[in-house]
Amino acid sequence: VTQTTAATGTRPHPSRPRGSRLPEIPGPGETFARAWKALRRMSTALKLLLVLTVAVILGTFVPQEPVIPTTVAEWRAGTSGPGEATSAAFDALGLFDVFGAWWFNALVVLLVTSLTGCLVPRIRAFVRAARCGPAAGRNLGRLTHNVELRTPLPPCEALDRAEAALNHRRFRCRRSAADGAPGAVAQLAAERGHAREGGSIAFHISFYVLVTGAMIGHTFGFTGQVNVVEGASFADTRIAYDLAEPGRWFPFDAHRGFVVGLEDFTATYLETPVSTDPGAEAPGDLVTGGALSTFMPTDFASRVTISEDGEVVREEEVRVNQPLSHDGVSVYQVRFGMAPQIEVRTTDGTVLYTDSVILTEAGGFVWQGVAPVARTEVEQQIALELILLPDAGFNAQGMPVSRSPEPRNPRLAAVVWVGELGLERNRPPSEFRRDRGQQLPQPVILELGETGQVQGLPLEIEFSGLPYWSGFQVSQEPGRWVLLAGAALMLTGLVPSLYAYRRRVWVEAHPDGEGSRVVLAGVALHRKGVFAEAFDGLAEDVAHRLDAGGAPAPEPHPETTERKA
Amino acid sequence: VADPQLAASSNSLFNLAFVAYIVAMAVYFFRLAFTRVSVVGVPKATRAGSAAGALATMLATGGALVHLASIVTRGMAAGRWPWANMYEYSSILAWGAVVFGLLVVQRKWGYGHLMGFVLAGAVLSMTSALLLFTEAGPVVPALRSYWITIHTSAAMAASSIFIVAFVATALYLVKDTAERRVAARSEEGHAGYGGSTVGAAQVLQAPARPERRGGSRPDGYTDPSAGSGGDEQAYASPLAQRAALSPVAFPLVPLVVVAAFVLIVWRDPVATLVAGSAAALLGTATWYAVPYLPPAAKLDSLAYRVVAFGFPVWTFAVMAGAIWAQEAWGRYWGWDPKETGSFFTWLLYASYLHARSTRGWRGRGAAWIGVIAFVALMVTYYAVNLFIVGLHSYAGV
Repeated sequence: VTQTTAATGTRPHPSRPRGSRLPEIPGPGETFARAWKALRRMSTALKLLLVLTVAVILGTFVPQEPVIPTTVAEWRAGTSGPGEATSAAFDALGLFDVFGAWWFNALVVLLVTSLTGCLVPRIRAFVRAARCGPAAGRNLGRLTHNVELRTPLPPCEALDRAEAALNHRRFRCRRSAADGAPGAVAQLAAERGHAREGGSIAFHISFYVLVTGAMIGHTFGFTGQVNVVEGASFADTRIAYDLAEPGRWFPFDAHRGFVVGLEDFTATYLETPVSTDPGAEAPGDLVTGGALSTFMPTDFASRVTISEDGEVVREEEVRVNQPLSHDGVSVYQVRFGMAPQIEVRTTDGTVLYTDSVILTEAGGFVWQGVAPVARTEVEQQIALELILLPDAGFNAQGMPVSRSPEPRNPRLAAVVWVGELGLERNRPPSEFRRDRGQQLPQPVILELGETGQVQGLPLEIEFSGLPYWSGFQVSQEPGRWVLLAGAALMLTGLVPSLYAYRRRVWVEAHPDGEGSRVVLAGVALHRKGVFAEAFDGLAEDVAHRLDAGGAPAPEPHPETTERKA
Repeated sequence: VADPQLAASSNSLFNLAFVAYIVAMAVYFFRLAFTRVSVVGVPKATRAGSAAGALATMLATGGALVHLASIVTRGMAAGRWPWANMYEYSSILAWGAVVFGLLVVQRKWGYGHLMGFVLAGAVLSMTSALLLFTEAGPVVPALRSYWITIHTSAAMAASSIFIVAFVATALYLVKDTAERRVAARSEEGHAGYGGSTVGAAQVLQAPARPERRGGSRPDGYTDPSAGSGGDEQAYASPLAQRAALSPVAFPLVPLVVVAAFVLIVWRDPVATLVAGSAAALLGTATWYAVPYLPPAAKLDSLAYRVVAFGFPVWTFAVMAGAIWAQEAWGRYWGWDPKETGSFFTWLLYASYLHARSTRGWRGRGAAWIGVIAFVALMVTYYAVNLFIVGLHSYAGV
């Protein structure tokens, strides 16, 4: 904690003539020195901390692009949020990505610099204080806590006993013997509570450890997203991932190459019939138009196998709170969905397309997606827009709905698109060009196992199976243990920095006739109330050890009585 | 999964505890009215006050026990740890505040006469629990982890402790204002510290105190430290403190703020009226209680000790949350609204702890940061869960 009170601004500039009325303009060196001095001030650090807080608050209430891009897009378009103009202003200020904005990072750098400026002198002072041990005391009678005791023991023996009492209380003691000089008194200086400053320093150092751990993870780590249909597999290689976020220096040979196969996937729901009591709210709150029950997911589990060199080495279940860790790579269950298996054939039997199409949820237990059936001829491409109702039925208005998320009565609707759909582009098929395509008027509606004819084209579509797909996140986090160590350091430093307190105790033994007169005095730098009680206990203990029979009981300090009351 | 009978008994136990807390709060305030706090912070209850104190302690303890039974039966009814939605969380928050108040504030530190305010906080939390009531039921897979016991219980413990810290901080600000005003009136032209008992020792060195005016005050209040020399705290006349504060502003400001809030959120005139009157009553109670509160310096150090107790717990809660997020979502920190919320709350409490040892911020400055930090905690809990879409949203109502 650096506390500077000297007002630098009032000091006259050395090169300026005395009495000059010109404004004082500091040179670059002095400006830097002043800025550095200001940055090291505790109040500056506090203000920076508060500004950082404001930034984080903004990042909480303004939607963040890396977290929810859809909402940000809506805000920018003005369809929701405070309107287009405000959104443009937010964009200019980087408020849609506060935590990636240059000014946020500048703030963090400034704060870390300020912290370093505060911390370096503190560490130096701490090391010095810890190494030197307690300093000798003077004028003990003037300290806030002092007690005088009489003992028949000689000074040296008395100090030994007092030292035993202090050692028992885990004080660090240092003796300065009366070396025969006139007026010299044997003194014992004791100190305890360096853990406060040490803990505080450890707490602040933990930030560097945490930042280092996060940086290691960012630069050398890897995160990839991959969706796999039941029965299929993927290998941990560069090209396997649908979306890969390697760190800047992630070595690509760090991919382990093992194969993860999805044996099967299970989704379990808890079905609760919708209560007739309109006041009661159903758990999960997944009520949709046609549903007679609410469904709450209770468990999603993927049974996966891991194969190395063609041999299955592990078989395990991966769930939301149960990731699989293999060879330093973690596999997390992130999402899941339905992937109807379809086959598109020409009427003469040529298979154009056969695959399980990964569908995404469109709300109300309805799944949708696009199958790129034919894309080789750019002008004459075919795509199927698929809509899946796992449990098809009709609502009160006669509209088709899905009554549950479970595939009890699956119905697949395929809308056929023909034309220059742009399927050859390196884009997801769902982003095909609707504007250049033509939609066939009659969608094909299929039950599971059914084959249907496309009206207007010599094609038939077979809905042959309904497996699930499971979405995994695969990560390598090399900085994880550093982060954990940083967190542990933070907590172990934080507790003593708030609870330990520094106090010093001195014992002086003056020769007094046969025995000696012992002065016990102490002072606390923090938590003075707690020390007042502790000092009382210590005085009693010392008195007892000195066997100061007949001596008056230590007179409690006024502050002590007040505390105890 | 849920056992409806157990769930129903949990609900009735909750209601019983709620009533017990309200009555206990009233009796605690009654006790406060029959308490004299000497200027050095020694509370002395009259006979009626002592009886009321004993009754209030019994009521609060009984209420806490019944409440605990409600929480346990809720867990048994749902077949899981009973802190998976906002109803359960708010309920436990209230319970934690009452237990912490009884054990630490009342028993350990002997500030039993502040318990009325702690219970007011608990009653508010119970009210929010009732407003967010959810039937006992199972939870989504993301919440099925042993980390829910670690992360959520730490977050609840820290929040309960911060409720108590907020009570002490807010009362400190009130008491400090009163002390300053009284000092400014009686000590016209007296240089230095403006009557605050906080930081007085730093600003004003000991011998600067002029001669004392007698040991007895006109209102019959005996100054115990008179003549003992240099006791900064023995300054403000207790009853003058109440006179220094506006008897109109104290009920009016909470009334307007709370009524406006309730009207905006619920648009219900009856609720507005009830909440506004309750706030006005609480304001009046605070105004009335000012002379009997411990000196500002004591309240300040009480608030600090409580925050110092809660801060490591909150730190641990955030860390445990990060570890859980790593396990459930595959990343330890994703700037999700709940994560950023807990982070700015952490930053504000860290600022509070730093401000208390920074020149120019000690005392009132630090206390205001403490108040803002508590508001941030409440925003993180209520607003982020209810109004902002994020990964914690499902944990909500």
